Amino acid sequence: VTPGPVWLLVTSGAATGLVGSMLGFGGGVFLVPLLTLAMGLPIRTAVAASLLAVIATGSASATVSIKRGLVNLRLGLALEVATSLGGLAGGVTSSLLTSKQLFIAFGATLGMMAVIMAVRSGRRNLIATGEAQPGVLGGRLEEAGVTYVYRLKRLPFALAASLVAGAISGLFGVGGGIVKVPALTTFCGIPIRVAAATSTFMIGVTAAASAFIYFGRGDVNLPLTAAVVVGTLPGSLLGARLSERIQARSLKIILSLVLALVALRMLLEAV
Amino acid sequence: MGPTRLDRAVELTLTSGLAASGLLLVIGLLLGRQDLLRWGAILLMLTPVARVVVVTIALLARRDVAFGAISLWILVVLTTSLALSLRF
Repeated sequence: VTPGPVWLLVTSGAATGLVGSMLGFGGGVFLVPLLTLAMGLPIRTAVAASLLAVIATGSASATVSIKRGLVNLRLGLALEVATSLGGLAGGVTSSLLTSKQLFIAFGATLGMMAVIMAVRSGRRNLIATGEAQPGVLGGRLEEAGVTYVYRLKRLPFALAASLVAGAISGLFGVGGGIVKVPALTTFCGIPIRVAAATSTFMIGVTAAASAFIYFGRGDVNLPLTAAVVVGTLPGSLLGARLSERIQARSLKIILSLVLALVALRMLLEAV
Repeated sequence: MGPTRLDRAVELTLTSGLAASGLLLVIGLLLGRQDLLRWGAILLMLTPVARVVVVTIALLARRDVAFGAISLWILVVLTTSLALSLRF
């Protein structure tokens, strides 16, 4: 890798880490097409670099969000079971559907989520302070010196969304956060900051499971991946800090825009 | 171990793993040393695994059997993946 592309890779990693840690996904949806389409790299090399960047994003932003009490460990663990089963289901589903059908299904789902998220961006998932109990998978969140309570609603839906997230992660080489975060925020009563922090906390683990396989097969291009990760680390730390300063409603609108863009890209792939 | 101590243990594990791997990757890039890049990548991939180990031990020590078991299961998935990668 020559110095010019190194800077491009570092910058791409930084941008991916920034957006990914703010919104709760790894950023593979940007990084993989950038590395394949813009830089002409083979898909396996791009996915391998993306997986290591996701590990860096998940781990770096967790160091910030865990201190702020944003990570809901129990919820993350419960959903991770469904996500890993979804990874297996993805392998089975991929042989039953054509890639065109997969792109249409994924693009249409994300497009719908983008619209629903934008429409519901003004709704808050926090219960007023007081003696409200968060339940086993809910939690407490402190904002501007006030402690709020949130509860998980529609657990079967959250598990189903995590299952789909795992399947999509395996099929497209992207982090499952892009499905989990909007689903948890829009339908399951989880505040967007908690959904994003919990998602990034878990995607590092999901990505590591696949990354070992890519590494063992020799698909990790070390200088290229190192350049991406070197950018991802500071980008993720900055994104995790920035997310606290941005209003929850603005975060939801940014997320719905990103979802709409990714949905459009998926639908264009199918054409 | 209370939640705050667990949070601190997780944070320390992640920070140490990232600092060590980040340092190796930067030096490896600057000096063009493949061995340093390789170890940097390995340390980075092992960082979430170390985090899961810390959480599993803490939950089981607190006798939180249900979530300790879930965490242990995730660790088994990661170990299986690691074992598979060594076969290639």
